[in-house]
Amino acid sequence: MEKRITMRQDMIDQYGRINGDNDIVHYDAAYAKARGFRGTLAHGLHVTAYAAEVAARTYGASWFTGGRIATKWIAPVCPGDDVRVSLGADGAIDARVQGGPVMVGRAELLKR
Amino acid sequence: MTRPSEVKPREGSAPGTPYATYVVGTELPELRFTVTPAIVEEYMAAVQADPSVYRIDGRKVAPPNVLCVFMTALIYRKYPPIQGIVMYEIDMESHNPIWADEETDVVATGRVTGKSEKRGRYFIHWEAEYRRGDGTLLARLRNTFNVPE
Repeated sequence: MEKRITMRQDMIDQYGRINGDNDIVHYDAAYAKARGFRGTLAHGLHVTAYAAEVAARTYGASWFTGGRIATKWIAPVCPGDDVRVSLGADGAIDARVQGGPVMVGRAELLKR
Repeated sequence: MTRPSEVKPREGSAPGTPYATYVVGTELPELRFTVTPAIVEEYMAAVQADPSVYRIDGRKVAPPNVLCVFMTALIYRKYPPIQGIVMYEIDMESHNPIWADEETDVVATGRVTGKSEKRGRYFIHWEAEYRRGDGTLLARLRNTFNVPE
């Protein structure tokens, strides 16, 4: 299963409003580029939410009472990026933009 | 209703915390907040969520990761953030649902678990636990973020 989104600055802004942060790396393109990024950064936890939704769709109700998601953000997601987040049958998360990896991890049910 | 911005110190609102100031083992002061249906709805819109995924036996349930927008409030209240913090990784377990049609009072606790340096980048490791007001465990998470030096 997978989820596809084209990231836009207004989506980053919307996440920032509910997240309540004021970190300009998400909102100031000049600052972000000065730090060596391609542009402003989508929040990592915004991208994780896409993977969590794929996991919830995969595991159903059990996800809400015993789901575990671990993600590592390895490259930025910037405005204009086409994001594809997939969950393999083995629980591996693979998130890419334009074919390059941006987030890896696992989503699985807790063993009890 | 608690908006994350009501409980989370924002970058620039106070002198930020440099890497050297974080102390491993520090217990983070307890944080209480309320997740409301309005917060769940706003969060779901912000992460482009598909509502059809978030139902259990017909009842609306929140994405467990709605707690993530409150996450850093716990550590930032102890250590106000400097500009340029970048999230590195998260490991989150969900143990009980947060219903989307009712208010959920949440009590968050946590501690700083480690500090590390890798190729000139500085990382803070910490963990948190989220329980309902009655003690029911909702979620546990471990998070690492990069503090610019």
